[in-house]
Amino acid sequence: MSPNKPLLEARKLVVNYKNHRAIDALDLSVPAGCVYALLGGNGAGKTSTINTFLGFNRPTDGNVFIDGESPEQNPAAVRAKLAYLPENVALYNYMSGIENLSFFCTLANVRISRQQAHDLLANTGLQADAHDRRVSTYSKGMRQKVGLAVASAKQAKVMLLDEPTSGLDPSAANDFARRVRQAADLGMAVLMATHDLFNAKQVADRIGIMKAGRLVEEFDAHTVAHDELEHKYLAHARGSL
Amino acid sequence: MIAAIIRKELLAVLRDGRLLVLAFSVFAVLSGFFLASVAEHRQVQQEKRAVGATAKEQWDTQGVKNPHAAAHFGIYVFKPDSPLASIDPGLRQYTGQALWLEPHKRNEARFNPAADQGLAGRFGQASAGFVLYALLPLLVIALAFNAVTQEREQGTLRMLHSLGVSATKLLLGKFTGLLLAFVVVLTPAMLIAVIILYQNFDLAGDDILRLSALSGVLFVYYAVFAALAMSTSIHFKSSRLALFVLLAFWTGSVLIAPRLGATAAEMLVPTPSVAAFWAAIKQDIQQGLANDGDHDAREAAFNAQVLKQYGVARIEDLPVGYTALKRSFNDNYSERVHALHFDRLRDAFERQGRFVHIASLLGPSIAMRSVSMALSGMDLAHQRHFEDEAEQYRDYFIGLTDDWDRERSHGAERGAQGHDADWGSVKAFSYTPPPLGFALYHALADLLVLLAWLAVALIWLLFSANRLKP
Repeated sequence: MSPNKPLLEARKLVVNYKNHRAIDALDLSVPAGCVYALLGGNGAGKTSTINTFLGFNRPTDGNVFIDGESPEQNPAAVRAKLAYLPENVALYNYMSGIENLSFFCTLANVRISRQQAHDLLANTGLQADAHDRRVSTYSKGMRQKVGLAVASAKQAKVMLLDEPTSGLDPSAANDFARRVRQAADLGMAVLMATHDLFNAKQVADRIGIMKAGRLVEEFDAHTVAHDELEHKYLAHARGSL
Repeated sequence: MIAAIIRKELLAVLRDGRLLVLAFSVFAVLSGFFLASVAEHRQVQQEKRAVGATAKEQWDTQGVKNPHAAAHFGIYVFKPDSPLASIDPGLRQYTGQALWLEPHKRNEARFNPAADQGLAGRFGQASAGFVLYALLPLLVIALAFNAVTQEREQGTLRMLHSLGVSATKLLLGKFTGLLLAFVVVLTPAMLIAVIILYQNFDLAGDDILRLSALSGVLFVYYAVFAALAMSTSIHFKSSRLALFVLLAFWTGSVLIAPRLGATAAEMLVPTPSVAAFWAAIKQDIQQGLANDGDHDAREAAFNAQVLKQYGVARIEDLPVGYTALKRSFNDNYSERVHALHFDRLRDAFERQGRFVHIASLLGPSIAMRSVSMALSGMDLAHQRHFEDEAEQYRDYFIGLTDDWDRERSHGAERGAQGHDADWGSVKAFSYTPPPLGFALYHALADLLVLLAWLAVALIWLLFSANRLKP
């Protein structure tokens, strides 16, 4: 899908936490159908960027938009359009996968039948015998599938992923990347904060490297070589660039 | 949306094994205390009935004697306790339940000024009521202290925020769900209590109304704790800190405030010692109230008035018994003095009760305790109602014996006699407790305090919604 109108956009975004500048003049644009991977070390500003799109942080300066709406000015409209998957998808352990999905869908004002809930979970690859099990028995990968099912049920235009493959085994990470790619191919804009170069190269269309709150370099993921990406990433991490 | 959150909260409680264990413990403790209370209540009532019947039989069969001597035999009357007294025995052990009615004065044992300490002293005493007002708030705290902190700690709060759930709706849903979960947890114990009450007592309509009112007020009381616990859970980042703060509040409300309030009330509105109380009555009878003259002067004036009324020059010439006439006159004056001092003392107790309310700033438990006692018919107002009825009965039967004494004697001689037929004609004391409206009227200040606490707690909860950050 060719890039077009940006669904996720940051313009000269600045976010300060007291005296600390977490994001510094960030310009970012993610159109529909694009997966944008934000790379960077701890404290680079990746999660702060996602939190600002979620409306959890107020911009100190500049703006963020989701499908043209500001999370600060119209939080309800913005949140209706986005799906969020943190590193550890937080679910209610005393409820089953089906119950969690139904609950989160209800809160998102999405009505689904029990059969639809089963279908949504099955589409994410979650085995049928796990649907009615309490999620306290789920692995991290299984929890992420429930999160993906919520995103799918909401028909979200935008997906925000915060370290989604951290702690997943290679097979689960690969499976997750495939499903994120599928979502983007269906027109979703995806912003993914990650440490995982391999995963970023595998799934993303564009890759940005953040350092000290600034977007210091951007790449076309389809043309940049893995070695070059790794070299640049490590150089920025070491401070030699 | 709110319905989904309520359902989720209910599931959380019902599927949490620890809370079910806690609920079972509450059920066992409440049932145990309640069964013990019912057994004690039944025993006390049976003893009252037995002693009352024996006393009446002894009164009825005194044989031939002077009517005033018969009056000195006295009559015991007992306050019939509401079945709800088995839930909250209130001030029973401090005010006493038996009144010894005899001529010349109110019974000394009926209103011991030193018993004032009971208002505060009762806190901490184990009873079904203690479980309801003191221990169950701990269960509410256990259910609510991490209502928000746990969502924050587990990351679900971020998920909820990302879905666009409004903080106000989230809190209202959690608050309602928590209260419903609490009711679900409490229902088995309450059902057992109602069944036990139904099986052991003849519940009148007023008893059922009082029980319903008590349940409603308890619900308000628990809602206060639930709202405060949830607000605290929002303001503190860690569940442990929120729990610590809530336990401190519980200690202040349930344990410290009542004692602090009672101590302050005793300092601000001192009451006389037993000896001083009775000495003051004796002195006022002897020396007379303002402008009444002393005992001798009053009696001299009375003698002159009686001789004039009957148109005779000497007491010996009176057509009715002079001794009975003079006794009635002195008793009437004595009753006036007694009423004055008893009213002063009871007013002082009521003023103390109002000062105790100052300590309600520390928590809603004092107000809840007072309303519970009122609805159970075991507070000061109900005791006063009973004593006033008993006093009217004393006037009735002492007046009757005085009439017999006066009419069956002449002049200064004291030959009047009564018989078993006379004693048997004295109607038995029959006391009808006041209705629910009486209890609500006297508990109005406490009800308003409870509602004020609820309003403050809910406003704080809604205000806290603005601080609900993931």
